[in-house]
Order: sequence, then C-alpha cells, then structure tokens
Amino acid sequence: MSQFFQAWQKRKEALQSKALEQYTNKSMESVSDVTLTTNVEENIQLIEAQFGKCDDLVVRRFQTKSKAQAAIVFIDGMVDRNVISDFIIRYMTTPDITYHDPATNELDLTDKLRQIVRNILSGCAVLIIDGCQNAYLNNTRGWDRRSVEEPQTESVVRGPRDGFCETLCVNAALIRFRLKDPNLRVRHMVVGERTQTDIYVMYVDGIAYPPMVEEVIARIESVHVDSVLESGYIEQMIQDRRWSPFPQIQNTERPDKVVANLLEGKVGILVDGTPFVLIAPAVFSQFYQSPEDYYERFYIATLIRLIRIISISIALLLPSLYIAFSSFHPEMIPSRLVIAMAAGRSTVPFPSLIEALFMELAIEILREASVRLPGPIGPTIGIVGALVVGEAAVTAGLVSPVMVIIVAVTTIGSFASPSYSAAIAIRMLRFPVMFLAGMFGLYGIMLFLIVILIHLSSLKSFGVPYMSPLSPLNLTGMKDMFIRAPHHLLKTRPMMFHVQDKTRMREEDNRK
Amino acid sequence: MSRNEGHSWHQNLSMWQQICLMTSTLIGVGVLTLPRTTSSKLFEAGWIAPLIGSAGAFVSLWLIVKLSKRYPGETFIEYSHKVWGSASRPWVGKVFSLPWISIYLVYLYFSTAIVSRVFGEVVVTSVLWQTPLEAMLLTMFLLIFFLCMHEVEVVARVNELLFPFIILPLLFIALASFQKAEFGNLLPINHVSIRSMAEGVYEGIYSYSGFEIMFVFFAYAQKNTNKELAGFYSLLIAALLYMLIVVAGISVFGYEELQRVTWPTLELVKTTQVPGFILERLESAFLAVWVSAVFTTVANAFYVVVYSLRQLFRKGIWFQRIMAAVLLVPLFYFSLIPQNIPEVFQVASLLGLSSLFINLLIPVVYWVVILIRDMMSKREEKDVDG
Repeated sequence: MSQFFQAWQKRKEALQSKALEQYTNKSMESVSDVTLTTNVEENIQLIEAQFGKCDDLVVRRFQTKSKAQAAIVFIDGMVDRNVISDFIIRYMTTPDITYHDPATNELDLTDKLRQIVRNILSGCAVLIIDGCQNAYLNNTRGWDRRSVEEPQTESVVRGPRDGFCETLCVNAALIRFRLKDPNLRVRHMVVGERTQTDIYVMYVDGIAYPPMVEEVIARIESVHVDSVLESGYIEQMIQDRRWSPFPQIQNTERPDKVVANLLEGKVGILVDGTPFVLIAPAVFSQFYQSPEDYYERFYIATLIRLIRIISISIALLLPSLYIAFSSFHPEMIPSRLVIAMAAGRSTVPFPSLIEALFMELAIEILREASVRLPGPIGPTIGIVGALVVGEAAVTAGLVSPVMVIIVAVTTIGSFASPSYSAAIAIRMLRFPVMFLAGMFGLYGIMLFLIVILIHLSSLKSFGVPYMSPLSPLNLTGMKDMFIRAPHHLLKTRPMMFHVQDKTRMREEDNRK
Repeated sequence: MSRNEGHSWHQNLSMWQQICLMTSTLIGVGVLTLPRTTSSKLFEAGWIAPLIGSAGAFVSLWLIVKLSKRYPGETFIEYSHKVWGSASRPWVGKVFSLPWISIYLVYLYFSTAIVSRVFGEVVVTSVLWQTPLEAMLLTMFLLIFFLCMHEVEVVARVNELLFPFIILPLLFIALASFQKAEFGNLLPINHVSIRSMAEGVYEGIYSYSGFEIMFVFFAYAQKNTNKELAGFYSLLIAALLYMLIVVAGISVFGYEELQRVTWPTLELVKTTQVPGFILERLESAFLAVWVSAVFTTVANAFYVVVYSLRQLFRKGIWFQRIMAAVLLVPLFYFSLIPQNIPEVFQVASLLGLSSLFINLLIPVVYWVVILIRDMMSKREEKDVDG
C-alpha cells in the first residue's frame, strides 16, 4: 500500500510539472513558436503562412472607431457568423458604443502564435488590431451539432430519454445538470497529435479513489497517437489487458448511467466528437446491469436482472449444449424428445457441429447485413433471412428444425444484454465453445468455462478485480450483483472501487 | 502501478478464500469411491470414517497453522531454512531442509498425476467411451498449465468462483438420492470392532489429503483472519459432505452391493431422478460439473509445486510458467504408467498412505526441531545471565 502511494505521489509531481506543456505536442511543433508583432498585415501574413493557401480561412479587415487597422481571422463554418458581425465588428466600428473590447462571452488575450493557431482551429475568431501586440481570442464556436436525442443503443422502458451527442461541452452539461455537486471535478486533456481531440476526465472528489483517478489520467496522457476519432481509441489504449476478449472499460450513451457510476466512485471519460462516454473501471456486472434496474421496484428489477443473466448464458452456451447433447450425450435428453430430434436430423447430411456452425455463421451475416442496410430495407432483410432462408433450409433438409429454434433463441438471447460491447464478447466466445463441445461434449464446455473463469479471475480494471464482488467475495457488494436489493438496504456505496465516502444514505434522514 | 504489475490492493487471501482453497482441494476424485472404500471395512457404519478421519486431518492442519503463525507471511519453502539452519551458517539450513521440501513437492507432483488419471478413467469408462485417455489427460494438463501462468491471488479467486460448482452438485446428489434410501441398511451401528474402525479410517484418509497445499497458501492469508477457524470450517464442510455421500450410498445400495461397484457415487447419480426435470440421466452432467472439483484438486497441488520451485530458486513469474510447462510433460507419462484401474487404485491408496505420513510427519518433525531449538536458546540465555 505504501509503495503504491509513493508511486502515486511521484506521478502526481511529474504531472504538475507537465501540466503547462499540455498544449504543445508534435503537430503543433510545426507551428513556429513566435510572438506577434504590432503590425496587422505582418500578423495576418504570419497566421496565413501557418495555414498555407487554405481557402476556408476567412480574413476580414476593417477599421476600428479609433481609426486603427484591424482584422478578424476565423475558419468558415466553425463559427457563429452572427456573433462575429454583431458583437465583434459592430462593437469595434460603431462610434456610439463606448465599450472598447468585443462583446463576446469568452475573451482571451495572447501574442503566442501557437495558441492563436490552435484556437482558430477550434472555432475561435481572432481579432488583431494595429499597434497592439496581443490578439483577442473570441469564443465564437458555433458549428452545426446534433441535438440531444434518445440513445440508439441503450433504450430503457422507464428512465430518462436524453442521450449524449457529439459535442463535448453539451455532454458535460448533461452530466452537470444531473449532478449539481461542486465536488464534481473535470480535468481537461488534449489527445491526438493531429486531431487535437478534447477529453474531459470527470470524477467526484471525495468519492473516487484519488490514485485511481491519477492512474486514469496518467494512462490517457501516455497515449501518443495522431488521431482520436472515437472514445474507442482511448478505451483500447488505456485498458489493462489488451489481448482480453472482455471489455475492461464500460461505454454508455446515457448521462444517467454516467452519473450513477460517478457516484459509485468511478471515473468518466468524455471524448469530443462521440456520444459514447467511457466509464472506468468496469467489472463483470456491466454485462447484465442496466440503469433501469434502479428505477423499477426491486422485485421486478431483480427478476429482469436474472432473466438477463439467463439469456446471456443461453447466448453463450445453447448451441454448444445442443452439439454436446446430440452428438455425445443423447441419453440425457428425454426419449420422446430425442426421437423427435433424430427424426428432424435424419435428412441432415452434416454432423451437428457443422450444422450449428453453418447456421450461426448465417445468422451473424444476417445481423451484420441488417446493420449496414438503409433504414427502410433493414426489417425486410430480417424477414427474408429469418423466415424464408430458415424455412427453406429446413425444407431442403440442410438443417434440422431444432437447430433453427436454437439459433433463433441464441440470437435473441444475445440482444438481452444491456451493453452492446459486452454482448459482442459473448457472441465471439460462442464459436470456440462450439468447437470444444464438438470435440469433448459437456466436458469440453466445462473446460472452456474454466479457462474463461481463470481468465476473468486474472483480469483487473484499474486495480479492481473484474469478478468483484463475487470474487474476492464481498457480501455487501452481493446485494447489488445478481439481485438488486431495495434502495433502503443499499446504504453504502460498493466497496470494490475503494470509495472515500462510503455513505449513500444516512440512517436518521430516512423513514424506517 | 504499471499496467503489467497489477495492484496490491487484493493481495491477501480472505478467510473465505482460504476455506474455498482448502475445501475445493480436499474434495476431488476421492468422493467417487468413498462409499465403497469406507464401507469395505466398516460395513454399515461406513459413515463414521469421514468423521474420525477429519479429526486426524484437523490435528495435522492445526500444526501447519501453528507453523505458519510462527513464521508469518512465509511459505513452507521460506521458513524451512530457518527451522533447520542458523543465522551464522545459512547453508546448513538449506541442506537439511532440502529433503523435506523435496518429499513434499514430489508427493504433490505425483498426486497430481494420479488424480488426473483417476478422473480420466472415470470419464472415459462412463461418459466419453470413444475418447482416448490421453486426450483427457492432455486437456486437463493444459488447463492446469493455464492456471499456473497466473499469480497466487488468481488461484484463490478461481477456487472461490468454482466453489459452488463443487459443493452444490454433491449436496444435490446426496439429498436427491434419499428418495430411494432404505435407512435399515445403516443398522446396526454398534457391531464394529476397534480394529476395523482403524482400518476404515485409514481407507477414508485418502479423501482428506489435499490440505497440505496450505503449507504454502497460509503465508498469503490476511493478517487478522483466524486460520484455525478457516481450517476447521473447511474440514467440517468436507466431512459433512463426505458423510452425506456415504450415508446416501449405504442406504441406497447397502454395503454388500457397494463392494461390487467401481464408482459408487456415480451410481448414485445414475439412480437419481428428479420429477419434471428435463434431463433424463444425470451422470454426464454430473461428471462435467465434477471437472471443476477435480481441476481445483490437481491444479492447486501442481500450482504449489511450481510456485515452490519458483521460491526455491528465487525466480519470477516467467520461471514459474516455464517450469509448469516443463514439468507437465513427464507428468503426462507418469500418469499413464498404471496399466489398468486396479493398478490405479493401488497407487492411489499408496499415495493416500504417504499423504498421511507426510501431513503428520512434516509438521511434527518441524515442531520438535523448533521446540528443541527454543529450549537450547533459552539455556544459552540462562548461561549468559548466570
């Protein structure tokens, strides 16, 4: 523990000394590190030289009310033009207005060329005035953005309908709006040497375990890549085990889920340009837990959670159980059923492993195709694939009817997981277990499950064992693992994330 | 706190993890033959054997706990030097402790082989008739190798996760078979002589071997846990389960019939019928789930072997991984040496005997040496004082 703390302390010191250099990384190094002069035309040339002959760089020259030459430089399409004309140019030119500065809501002064170029690129309008070495950086960002809509990948029956959008500040505001706590901390970082993507690391001070937060920040800082186009880039570069099939960082489109997780002592990572927010650390329960569990009453929530666990097990194991039963252990199936199954399989020319692989492959192709197809055609393909092909394959004697049922149930089961990336892991692992079942029957399935269990036991996400609270066993945590205990029993936050403030609910404030 | 090292937050084994480690190592292939071996000498009263056997096992486990308490945070490999050697001449300790360490490791090594072999025989003869025995052994060894790639805390967590898969099927089988039990088969209780009692207990002792892995794992226990209590609970769980299984076996089949059955517990599974259950015959399912029980037994024992070698040579995790791979190859051939099931059983009972020997002898000898050294150092102190 003490060793760990020393390492953390060292890292913290290193971070503080590095904090100032955050803006200067490689692609910005091509911009010469010079300061502006007092001459407007010289300055314009300096800036234009950095952009080359770039046609969307707009330079608007005008004369201020004190007859000084001035110019505004911005990039077309990234700024709100009304703000520029009404509150910068008009304020600077109309003699009746006695106010000297542009009337924008965020104003900064600098003479560093690098900072100016970076701000122009992120949608600022830069005002340079003759005789003044400092340029005004006006925040006029205003590009077209998607509005807040219902999340596409995580719908709930009961719960808020708003989801994240592609704009970082809107996403941060969606979280702030739900968590009006001054202890909510936001750390701004820039990753991507060319894309210069903004990243917010959010956590609640006093709940999140500080070394864990520092670890998240340190890992993001250690990412050196030219582009960050989606949060998946960050996720894959900062996860603990890069070769694992299991997602070790959760992603979500739902602000309420992020807030709930921040309050459990986790860290949220918001990346500009994507509606998917990362939550670290993640544990195995992400596979079947949904924010809805906490909004419904606990009987229903527990039942639904159990149903999800069953459907995930079905998605993982049902085809391989079919293979094992039909080719190794037919004595286990009741005799009437085994006769029916054998009758269905009598025309099938392949062993059940090939049959199952064939059908699973077909359904994966169908699924992938229906994702890519344009909206109106998508359902058509589903009907064509599921009904026509399935029915025809059975009639043609290529697959048995039981196999069609099994593949259909498996596919439906894999959709019951509330987390898409977790469901993909399950989908993927279905294939090796089918091979093992084809080789060793139930014994093969068990071998595979033990391998997976060993792997899951060895996984850690930012220091938190992946299978906690199941292993290491924590009885308080078990209240929110398979079942969802009523809220009045969930008085403490989950311990596995090393929360600093353990109380979620004080005894005396609540109706007994 | 780098990505590769992992964190030290959970390095210690909780009491529950210790219980899981011990119980899951105890319960292995012994259970499959337990009703037959205990009732061969004790007849109707076969169920007494696991109870008395557990008392013997507890004495030995208690001594092991005391040893680990005297050298907190150190494994058998680490404290052996200190028991046998002196600070001035460390090589003495190394030389004298080496025979004990090697007996211990060789025993665990061969028990891995024989337990895997027994399990392979069970599966090949009763469920997967066409699968060669070599394939069973190979897959089991690959699984063991995969576990040996990891650190101690992972082993503890794997045992913790597999624990319900070991306990629940046994409980289920024992309780479900009481539908067909004739409790008259258990009577009379009192016609067992002391001599046959002793022999019966000896037969049952093999099923209690396995807790000697705690020579190593107790070193990683959390400081504030009560190790004696953990040992007591795990032996209690095992004893109760064994007793249930033996009672079920005797009451369903009667002791005469049990003698003619190779795997009585598996026969119990075959007779089990659950009304409304969608599965008809359960022995394949039972053996599939039983893989986890056998795996925890053999993998824990083998893990102790490679981990001890790693400590003995003061190497890192990579040495452990390479050793695991290297040692598993001869083990494959060793496990194929017995030609048939009777020979396997002979070797197994021999191993049971040596487990009794090792489990009692090593702690007793160590304690005698420690006590003698304590007395000598006290006398020296007195001499200095005088």
